[in-house]
Amino acid sequence: MSILVDEKTRVLVQGITGRIGAIQTMHMLKAGTKITAGVTPGRGGTRVEGVPVYDSVEEAMAENEINTSVLFVPAPVAEDSCVEAMDAGLKLIILITEHIPTHDTMRIRAHARSQGAVLIGPTTPGVITPGKCKIGIMPTHLFTPGPVGIISRSGTMSYEIAGMLSTEGIGQSTMVGMGGDPIVGTSLVELLELFQKDTETRMVVIHGEIGGTQEERGAAFIRQKMTKPVIAFLTGKVAPEGARMGHAGAVVIGKRGSMENKVKAFREAGVPIAESPGEIIGLVRKALKGS
Amino acid sequence: MILYEYEAKRLFREQGISTPQGEVIRTPNEAEETVRKIGKPAVLKPQVLASGWRKAGDIQLAGTPEEAARVAEGILKKPIDGRSVEEVLVEERLSVQKELYVCIKVDGAAGVPLVMASFEELSDFDEAAELPERVAYQHADVFRGLQAYRARKIAKGLDFSGDEAVKLADQIYRLYRVYAKWNALVADFSPLFMTQEGNFIAAGGFLEIDDSALFRFPQFRELSLSRILDPLAREGRTIGVSYVGLGGDIGVICTGAGIGMATVDLISKYGRPANFLETGGGITEKQLADVMRLVLKKPGLRGLFLNMYGGINPIHEGAKGVVKVIREDQVSIPIVAKAIGNFQEETWKILEEGGVTVIKTIPTDGAVEELFKRLKK
Repeated sequence: MSILVDEKTRVLVQGITGRIGAIQTMHMLKAGTKITAGVTPGRGGTRVEGVPVYDSVEEAMAENEINTSVLFVPAPVAEDSCVEAMDAGLKLIILITEHIPTHDTMRIRAHARSQGAVLIGPTTPGVITPGKCKIGIMPTHLFTPGPVGIISRSGTMSYEIAGMLSTEGIGQSTMVGMGGDPIVGTSLVELLELFQKDTETRMVVIHGEIGGTQEERGAAFIRQKMTKPVIAFLTGKVAPEGARMGHAGAVVIGKRGSMENKVKAFREAGVPIAESPGEIIGLVRKALKGS
Repeated sequence: MILYEYEAKRLFREQGISTPQGEVIRTPNEAEETVRKIGKPAVLKPQVLASGWRKAGDIQLAGTPEEAARVAEGILKKPIDGRSVEEVLVEERLSVQKELYVCIKVDGAAGVPLVMASFEELSDFDEAAELPERVAYQHADVFRGLQAYRARKIAKGLDFSGDEAVKLADQIYRLYRVYAKWNALVADFSPLFMTQEGNFIAAGGFLEIDDSALFRFPQFRELSLSRILDPLAREGRTIGVSYVGLGGDIGVICTGAGIGMATVDLISKYGRPANFLETGGGITEKQLADVMRLVLKKPGLRGLFLNMYGGINPIHEGAKGVVKVIREDQVSIPIVAKAIGNFQEETWKILEEGGVTVIKTIPTDGAVEELFKRLKK
């Protein structure tokens, strides 16, 4: 078990001929991911890393086995590309693209919900079930199979967490990049629910950051429903009020989105908080011993 | 991108929203002329880039054209939050029967726009789940927008009835059209006045356009740069990275937002970061050279810390840009870099040959400690 992606996942890469799409396709194939097709309008009939390229999702699906799409398309066409994938019947959409207008993201998210599709992202590093399937941009060698689920609002921070755990011999069941935007396709609560149900996951590490209320709602869910141990690491303590810290969603306005609120919520839910990346290892060891 | 109030109101009027009669002025003389033209007592509002309704103390009244000139002179001389005021919005003073607030924001929890109205300020709220009873609200449909009947429900929710409810709903409906048309993150009436005659007029207004949507609005794209007040942050935007000044003396370069925040948080345990900087995805040799020169512009830097992950980013390309600047600009402050991920071995080699102390283990803790050890020597 694992969540969202595994050895049965068959991947379509939208935006496969772009600079980033082509390189990441190469890295994903190297990691063993089963990429069966790619799409770039106007480039049908070509190949990238041996993967056949089609003009549309429908055409790609007619000739290949596909159940998941990962998108490296430019932000201005992200909405169209996501809707195309969902209308073709795909139920898992992993949207790597960053800087998508929030109004577009709201429509993508609403369309996904109406179609019963799961949208991960935007502004996500992707999803990896180590050893089985890697969909996204994460450096593969930092991840190893094991019992720890990771949910992160940031790509780079998820690499740091997984890399530290792997170095210590602690593997991961699945890492999901939740995304750094104000609106995300799948919320922290929904991802915690998936990990709670997953038999392979023994505990969850959350990387949260300032801005929004994902962490507060996640903490309430943990308090009420979660039986597996959860630990958290939060970033953005020194952010000046009103400054967007790289992620569109990482901003404190007044008290809203503040670190204090999130720390308080996790404390009330009994979730230990690591004060630095290095402290995460000790907290994970302790949680695994107890679980 | 935050708009000045007078710019927001221009966009409001395009959608048929009523705003007070007035003009934006740059000199006391213009203030005098404007009030003469209006022929009524006026209010003068310094134009600043601030979210929400400015404190009432910044708004001043003038009964006559001569008084307006004096008041304008005072405003134009006095800086607000350390910045000089260049423009003042001079508007007719309205006879107010009721004062209310309307605000449209993105509800991050619901994933749809939230339209709120209240007799009190709304700046503290952005999710339906946390609203007190005094706030009337509706979620908008992301495909159909705010249906007119929902705007009427909001007006009813504040106990308006008859013509008044219809007129108020109309202004709320039009504000939603502004919000949708300009891909706004926030659009508000702060406040909306109901006059003695029973008309609704947007006395105060605010509009923040989503920076990610600026490709749709070329007229604002150029302007948005000039709205970034910190020159280093502005330069960051032009080279495609996020720079936030933090006032300290340790320069920071990171290849992602999460690791960037973790890094400045950690540095602040031992000293003070000069800046937050994250490159986002898709770095190049040239971009990292530009980034180095940008961060090194901050006077009085004692050290530089790089935290790089090779996921989407070719960090070996970035490393070439880093050492190029070290050589060409003869950078002599201690530099510590942690670099992990795809192409890490090449990256380490390039950085070490350029005189950078390279940390090859993962926890950022140890790398930051190493920088401060070196600074003590």
